[in-house]
Amino acid sequence: MTEHATAAVTQIVMGPVFWIATVLFLATYALIIWEKVHKTIVAIFGAALMIVAGIMTQEEAFYSIDLGVDWNVIFLLISMMIIINIMKPTGCFEYLAIKSAKIARGQPFMIMAIFSVVTAVVSAFLDNVTTVLLIAPVTLIICQALELDIVPFLISEAISSNIGGTATLIGDPPNIMIASKAQLDFMAFIYHLTPVIIVVLAAYIVSIKLIFGRRMTVKEELRLRVMAMDEKKAITDPILIRKSLVVLAVTITGFVVHGMLNLQPATIALFGAGLLLLVSGNREPQKILAEAEWASLFFFIGLFIIIGGVVKVGLMKWMAIEVLKITHGNLFGTTMMVMWFSAFASAFIDNIPYVATMNPLIIDMARQLWPNLEGVALLHHPDLMPMWWSLALGACLGGNGTAIGASANVVVIGMAEKMGHPISFKKFMLYGMPLMIESVIISTLYVWLRYYVFKF
Amino acid sequence: MKAKDLMIPLQDYLTPDNNLREAVNRLRTAVRGEDRVGVKGLPVLASDGKLVGILSIRDIIKAIYPTYMSMMNLGQFSWDGMLENLARQAGGRKVDEFMTRDVITAAEDDPLMECVDLMFKHNVRRLPVLDRSRRVMGMIYERDVFFAITKSMLEENSGGEK
Repeated sequence: MTEHATAAVTQIVMGPVFWIATVLFLATYALIIWEKVHKTIVAIFGAALMIVAGIMTQEEAFYSIDLGVDWNVIFLLISMMIIINIMKPTGCFEYLAIKSAKIARGQPFMIMAIFSVVTAVVSAFLDNVTTVLLIAPVTLIICQALELDIVPFLISEAISSNIGGTATLIGDPPNIMIASKAQLDFMAFIYHLTPVIIVVLAAYIVSIKLIFGRRMTVKEELRLRVMAMDEKKAITDPILIRKSLVVLAVTITGFVVHGMLNLQPATIALFGAGLLLLVSGNREPQKILAEAEWASLFFFIGLFIIIGGVVKVGLMKWMAIEVLKITHGNLFGTTMMVMWFSAFASAFIDNIPYVATMNPLIIDMARQLWPNLEGVALLHHPDLMPMWWSLALGACLGGNGTAIGASANVVVIGMAEKMGHPISFKKFMLYGMPLMIESVIISTLYVWLRYYVFKF
Repeated sequence: MKAKDLMIPLQDYLTPDNNLREAVNRLRTAVRGEDRVGVKGLPVLASDGKLVGILSIRDIIKAIYPTYMSMMNLGQFSWDGMLENLARQAGGRKVDEFMTRDVITAAEDDPLMECVDLMFKHNVRRLPVLDRSRRVMGMIYERDVFFAITKSMLEENSGGEK
């Protein structure tokens, strides 16, 4: 194995082009972490420099499947943003949350548990930040009606949205990126990740019961405030809700069968977005389209080009060989390292650039291990599959570790601060880090048992 | 008439460290003309006398209006007593948190029309008036501009004396 790797390393030409690309890549990441310049601007400018410096051609940056912008990711994200932006004003999310609080009969811990589950389930299909922005405001008004401390509720929702997002292909950007690069379909994620996420979520609910459960009691008269809320009043456009739910059902069915239909997830999402725009009778698509999160989308676009540059010059290949040297080509060891390293890396840095970097690294690693294989045979090699799932689990769940680990955390912390209840970095970590470690331990056991002991 | 001729000379102001309870009390009892009838906004001055912000009754209302309500349609789920309760809770919070920091100001020699222009362009109803060393001399309120207009109009209608 080591011999093999040493032979391969000589193929990488560490000339000026290699170093220019590497420096550009490192400088971009340093600026993203430094946060003085907005990360989207850094990514756009870095990408432009990659092309200007001649590392990549424009042709490669725009059209190459291996090196360029992953339009599958971009169109999937845009389409889901369109669907959600049409549904948001109908009041369906307010309805869902108020209804949940009433099902919990205004009991504080029941509300926390049900909201966590609802957040996780919604997050599995929508972007985590969007989910939190839809559920948290309702949670806050309910907390105030019950005169409860908002902080545990906000923290628990951020964490459950990160957990839920891990369950499906469309739940969290890292999964979308992994699916696209590894050519994994929606059902593969359901089959391999959803089961472990259900266990992680159940363990999480038990944990928050132990952490927060005993401290929460509420007076009867306050409970009545919640029971008096009429969730039906939230609905502003019942016809559009019905249309949206039908389109959503069609879209999710489309995701379920996209592998069989030989269609990419982005195609399914684009179909859903197009259909909902059509049936919603929208006369001003400009408004709905403008609400898409263009800053995030361009961040992805820029990153893809920057990563493409360092993949082209062989930096990723070099790193892949180094990783294999550390683990001596032991695949179980490499898989576990990928999971735990991803978790701690994602707790401190943005998991999107992290996964964008890891994807080509894992592919290069696979090429070192099985030089005779190509395409799906390589990407779906039985020994490589646990590594993809470990990357997804580590990168998504790792976001729970710290206040800056995931965008959903940043959003709830911002909300808490505006409400006059700041959550310090330390305070978030006090809850987040142990819960993250718990979830990664469960994932480790799962991957070990499923892929290395029982092998199914 | 210039800004300095119309302004109410600086007497009442807030500091960033005042809490909202102190702030509302000062707004309520600020001098206006001869009496302490209250104003709808006061400048916020740092300990060295520098203008650092302005606090209006709208800022106070915003302080008790929860952000989450602006994010979604939740008005129909509020309850009797919610506003009063939030107001009690906000009483101890600092002016610094809620004041408007980008203050639109007039210079002492600005003509009144320039003051009105500033009010319209920036959608504000009151302007601190600064002297040449950029110290706050006083405040011009929308109502005083209105009085200046009233005065001119009525003088003209009554035969244009003076």
